[in-house]
Order: sequence, then structure tokens, then C-alpha cells
Amino acid sequence: MFVIVMGCGRVGARVAAQLSRSGHEVTVLDINPDAFARLDTDFAGTTLAGNGIDTDTLRRAGIERADAFIACTQGDNRNIMASQISQHLFGVSKVVTRIYDPLRKDTFQALGLEAISPTVIAADHLIRALGPEFASDEGPA
Amino acid sequence: MLDPKKILVPVNGGPVDATVVALASQLAKPAKSRVYAIYVIEVRRTLPLDADMPTERHEADVVLDQVEHTAGELDQEIETEILQARDIGTAIVEEAVEANVDLILMGIPYRRKFGEFDLGRTVPYVLKNAPCEVWVCREALGGRNSTK
Amino acid sequence: MYVIVAGGGKVGFYLAKELIEHGHEVLVVESNSRRAAEIEAELGSIVMFGAADEARVLREAGAERADLVCAVTGDDEDNLVICQVAKARFHTGRVIARINNPKNAEIFHRLGIDDTVSATEVVLSVIEQELPRQHLIPLLHLRHTDVEVVEAIVEEGSNVAGRRLRDIALPRECTVAVILRDEAAIFPQPDTPVLVGDALIAFTTSGNEAALRDALLGAD
Repeated sequence: MFVIVMGCGRVGARVAAQLSRSGHEVTVLDINPDAFARLDTDFAGTTLAGNGIDTDTLRRAGIERADAFIACTQGDNRNIMASQISQHLFGVSKVVTRIYDPLRKDTFQALGLEAISPTVIAADHLIRALGPEFASDEGPA
Repeated sequence: MLDPKKILVPVNGGPVDATVVALASQLAKPAKSRVYAIYVIEVRRTLPLDADMPTERHEADVVLDQVEHTAGELDQEIETEILQARDIGTAIVEEAVEANVDLILMGIPYRRKFGEFDLGRTVPYVLKNAPCEVWVCREALGGRNSTK
Repeated sequence: MYVIVAGGGKVGFYLAKELIEHGHEVLVVESNSRRAAEIEAELGSIVMFGAADEARVLREAGAERADLVCAVTGDDEDNLVICQVAKARFHTGRVIARINNPKNAEIFHRLGIDDTVSATEVVLSVIEQELPRQHLIPLLHLRHTDVEVVEAIVEEGSNVAGRRLRDIALPRECTVAVILRDEAAIFPQPDTPVLVGDALIAFTTSGNEAALRDALLGAD
């Protein structure tokens, strides 16, 4: 499978490396080329410096033949926009978006994005780590 | 300046309302000044400015009735008005300009926020922006006048 | 009208100011507290400090009763999200987004945001109107089609000057819709003559643009 990962932060770099090691073709996109330093030297995928909400950049990254797109830059709105472009304009079948803000995550999930909120997940894991007596009804949606 | 022509007294049902109204009345008497009390209802943005707000207006009526009663006991005539505005401080300053008052007399409760004394937003705004004199009367520590 | 202006930069500030002068109820939502205070000092209590891309802030701002939300921050992705949240969660009557990258007009449209304004595009169209007139001036691209609306100005020496419209060989899929002459708009008939100085407003497919240019602007 061919996967484009937008955002080469700690999470993006890890996702790219893991997918690449499992034998997938991976292109990592980041506005700042310095970010690629987070990738291991033996990373077998491709890197591309550019703005993921620009359709020209996405095309250069190969979005038209991508099987999956993961948006995990620091900016929720950037992730949302790039994901919607991939999904609705380029018809990428599998698109996953990181959205920190839980409310925004709900809104865009309702609009058809597959969204992950690390805020909700981390809070839930931290509370669960305290033990069962601290558990609440609120979990990650 | 102890002979103001017109004194504006913003009230909100707080613990110092009676004190400031009484003070304004006493000041007004020798100078034959007029006393004008206003109650500002802050309208949230989810509603239009002229929204019908029966609960809030009823509260305001109760407070202004009390204000009239206090002034009446001191034999001082008082005008009262309910205003709807987006921001209380701005409304007070605008009303002071509009009504051409030369003194604003306002009370504040002793409030704490995060353990520190907190002046709130309205008083600093009025102090900073009102064109006339402004007197602020703080409730006694421990709420001697406190009604709540 | 109740208008929420998201973003209190220069565009947002002057937009709010104009709207107020036209008698509208306005609220500027600005995420920088110092900037919000500056606008308040200038325009009064019509500012809310907060990030307009957060649903909670838009709710407090009264997006549900707003007739219009204008997202005019400097970032296209923020403007997109603000408009989408306003439409999807609060059913705001109408939303308008400012865009920096003109290409985003089409993207925003595909993502449900129909009204976009691009300063880049406006400047570009002014520049294009200044270009030598052997060019067709692009006026409009009809959305979702291949159709362009263009303007051609008939110069001295043009081989269409003085001829009737029916005698001019236009490429297929091209129509001269309006002739602007001396500040009047003429809806031409086949026997309407074309004169020097006329501005011909024509519909064409983009594939036929070159042929149309030769037909209307070519000289012998």
C-alpha cells in the first residue's frame, strides 16, 4: 500500500517509520525540511518539503495514487483541510486525521472524517492508569 | 467637588447598593442635585440586544424598587432606568456621557478570585473611561453590609 | 443583519467598521487578547476574545442567530474550518471565507463553502486589465464547467471593426453576449455592427479561447 503521512513530528515520524518497516510505500510531507531529521537514517520512504493543504504539493507527493492519507501536523485546521482535500478531491479511500480539540473532532467526524483526538485518548489513559476506582463514564468517543 | 448637578448610581443588587444610594442622596440634598440610578442587564451574544428578558427585568425591577425606597426614606427624589447592553462598563460610561452626569458613584463587593482580591472588569473600565468624577465604595471586609 | 467577523486583523477591523456604519449588528471574534482590546478601544464593545474555530466560542458569539459569518483570518485552513463549523453546527444563514491562495476557491466550494473572496485574485484581475489589449481579459470562470467569460476590446485596425456580428466567424462554442459601448450595454443581434473601442463580453470554452482571441482581436 502507498501511504502519505503529513506532518513529521514525533508521531508522524513514528507512524512513517512503522509503516515503512511493515513493507508499505511511504511519503512523508512537512513544511519544515528540518523535521525529517526525526526519521531514522535507514528510513526507506520518501520525504517531501511542502504545504499539505496545497493541491500542487499533494499531487507531487503522489496523492492521486495514494491508498491512505494520515494528517498529523500540529495544526488541527491544517489537518482537517488537507484530509478533506484528500478525501473529497482526490478520492483517497482511507483518510485519518489527528484533531486535538475534542469538540472540533466531533464536528468533523459528523462531517465524515475519521478523526483521532489524542487529548481525549491521553486523558482517558492517564485516568485508567490510576486504577479502576478512578474510572468515569466519559471515555474516548 | 461636592456639589454635583447630576449623580449616576449604577446598581446591580449587590451588597453596597443601599450604601451608595444613601450616600448619593446625602450628597444631592444640599446641592439640590439629581440622582439617577441605572440597572444594566448584560445581554449575551446569543440574543439580540433588544431581546425580551422577563426574568432579568423582573430582578432589575425588584432592585430598583429597593433603591427608590432607600432614597425615599432620605426624602430624595430618584430617577431609575433599566438598560440592556453587551457590556456593563461601556453602558455605564455611555449613559454618563448621554445624561451629562458629573459624578458616578458605584459600589463593589469584596470578591476574591484564585485567592486574590478581584476588582472585576466593570470598575476598572469605568475608572479608565468615564469623563466625570468616579467614586468607588467597597463593601466592608467580611461583608458587614452583605445581603448574600 | 447580525454579522460575526472571525479575525480582527486589518481586513476584519475595516470590515467591521464598514458594517457598523451601514447599521448592522457586528461582533468581531479575535484570538489575540491585546488585539481584541485595541479593537474594543476603537470600535466599542463589539469584540469577543476567543478562537472562532472553537465551537464553544462560536456558540457564545451567537452563531445560531447570525445571518452571516465572515471568516477573514490570515490562514485559509482556519477560515475553512470556521465556516464549516458555523454551517454544520450552528446552521448560520450564510458564510463567507477569505482565501489567500486563489486555488482554494474551488477546494472550498467542493467542501461546501461557496462564497470566497481572494485579494490575490482581485489584484491579479486588475493587473490583467492593464495588460496590452491583444489579450482576452478573463472575467469569470463558471464553476464546475469549462466555460470562461472574457472581454475583448476592439482596437483600431482590428479585422472585426466595422463588421456585423453575423459576418464574424466565431469558433464553435463561443458567443458574444454583450457589447459595452460608451458605457452602455448592448445585447447584440446578428446584424449589430462591431465598432472600434467596443468591449465584447463573450462566453467561451477554455479550449476555444485562443481561436476566439484570433477571431476577435486579430488584425490583417
